Amino acid sequence: MTDRPKILVVDDEPQLTRVLRTGLKSRGYDVRAAADGLAGFEAFNDWHPDLVITDLAMPNVDGLELCKRLRAVSQVPIIVLSAKGEEKTKVEALDLGADDFITKPFGIDELLARVRASLRRANAPPMNEATQSTLDSGDFHVDLESRAITVREKPIHLTPKEFDLLVYFIKHAGKVLTHRTLLAALWGGNYVEQNEYLRVFVGNLRKKIEPDAATPRYILTEPWIGYRFDPDPVS
Amino acid sequence: MRRSVLDQRWAAYAVAALSVFALTLLLKIVGTHVNAATVSLALLLNVLFIATRWGSLPALFTSILAMLCFNFFFLPPFGTFTIAATDNWVALLAFLVTAVTAGQLSASARRRAEEAETGRREIERLYAELRDAFERASHAEALRQSEKLKSALLDAVTHDLRTPLTSIKASITTLLDEARGEPPVPLDSDSRVEMMEVIDEEGDRLSRFINGLIELARIEAGELHLRRRWGAVDEIISTALTRAEPITRNHHVELQVEKELPGVRVDERAVSEVVYTLIDNAAKYSAKGSTIRITARRSGEELIEMGIEDEGPGIPSELRERVFDKFFRATRDGDVTTHKPTGTGMGLAIAKGIVEAHEGRIWIESGNGGKGTRVLFTLPIGDEDVELVLND
Repeated sequence: MTDRPKILVVDDEPQLTRVLRTGLKSRGYDVRAAADGLAGFEAFNDWHPDLVITDLAMPNVDGLELCKRLRAVSQVPIIVLSAKGEEKTKVEALDLGADDFITKPFGIDELLARVRASLRRANAPPMNEATQSTLDSGDFHVDLESRAITVREKPIHLTPKEFDLLVYFIKHAGKVLTHRTLLAALWGGNYVEQNEYLRVFVGNLRKKIEPDAATPRYILTEPWIGYRFDPDPVS
Repeated sequence: MRRSVLDQRWAAYAVAALSVFALTLLLKIVGTHVNAATVSLALLLNVLFIATRWGSLPALFTSILAMLCFNFFFLPPFGTFTIAATDNWVALLAFLVTAVTAGQLSASARRRAEEAETGRREIERLYAELRDAFERASHAEALRQSEKLKSALLDAVTHDLRTPLTSIKASITTLLDEARGEPPVPLDSDSRVEMMEVIDEEGDRLSRFINGLIELARIEAGELHLRRRWGAVDEIISTALTRAEPITRNHHVELQVEKELPGVRVDERAVSEVVYTLIDNAAKYSAKGSTIRITARRSGEELIEMGIEDEGPGIPSELRERVFDKFFRATRDGDVTTHKPTGTGMGLAIAKGIVEAHEGRIWIESGNGGKGTRVLFTLPIGDEDVELVLND
């Protein structure tokens, strides 16, 4: 038995799995590889990894189907490897339960940073909304009962919808949130196509919480996909 | 469009009056030789002419004028508008009725002809518009299809470029991190070698892919310049087999070359490339330890038929044409669900281009007993006279 975090890499490109296996092992992770979604799902059931990195385009069971199958049985963090131009598939994967994505070609450091962030989120103690009255995340402190928020210890005034949006971002910090996910969570299932609502509210929120709304540090745009909230950016 | 003077309304009446007066004058000059019936027929003809050319009102005007002239000049007593004999009254009345009726009928026929002509022109115009609209629509559809195809090709190309690039970049950055030592990366020598091997292999893969793209572009542009010479089929196969030795090491290769095969006048390098591609595919898509069978035989008087057969999963019949399309891969894009390594999707397209440039044909069948894949292609043996002439 080992205490090293276990990572399952699922990709049909043997060269890439060789590199990722070696690169991740050298950073202290325990790594296994599978050549397609079907083998990946079997390896997951046998080995119970702490994180899954999967390609999207694969024979047999592809990355999307693997995300779906994994989410049906587990909350394991999933990072999707995708190529530029696959935005639609990427959004689909995130909507199906993937936590993050990384666009090919990527450097090992970027992948490692995403792996660390995903594992950190997965290991963080769960938020108990029924009993928890405050949220602390990086530069943000939220009192859920009085609906008061401070950013960098300065109180800010938010409208009810802006407050809900920011709380949602804080609760899902670091995770890529698709437009669809945010709209469904904040406005309900009938509004998932109304991206303009989101643009307006994110714009207003940025004006109130960002030091410079033109170059946001907290609410980061993932082009064509959605947003990612970083509560504690490296300045 | 400018209307001519004759199309003016006043011109119709002027011509009507002039024609009646001219005809009356002419009839008067030859008066001794014409009777009242001839005069009335001549004047009626004039009414018909005016009606046909200018319509009903000028025709009516002509009829009345003709009736007055007929009465004044040709019915006794001449030079007056009175009529002596009762039968002449009847003749004059009959003339008037006939002139008016004929004029109106003729004008009506002209109107209908004009309407029919207008209708015909309208139909022609609508037809032309419809044809233009169809042409525009089919052009737009062709453009859309072409854009779709371009986009699919671009996706395929970028995927094939990006995948090896990803392995190279991930390997390089791992090695760089280790070299910089911040944070320290404990990479053993085996791992270092493995990273470098991956970089080397993926570099070769990129190079192969780019060479394939260049070859395909040449074939599509019709710039595949074949250097045809007389060569032996077994030598072509032998060259390809030597090159394919590293990839066929784990397979049994069986050679069935018919005895006393004639030489073929082909570009040996290009045909050897086709054989190599087919052996490479056979090795890639069949299990280790299985047999790859290479055959060559005469097919009729003018052709040599070569075949490469494997014992892999085979290609479904509905995909056997499509696998020759560039960037199409049966194991990734088609319905073959078994997991096998995928190629660039260019090998068979290039092979087809080379075979067809030799006026040959390439196709796919099932292997022995309906299992596996057999790729066959034919090559014309070549015309010995051409060679003799060239040698002379």
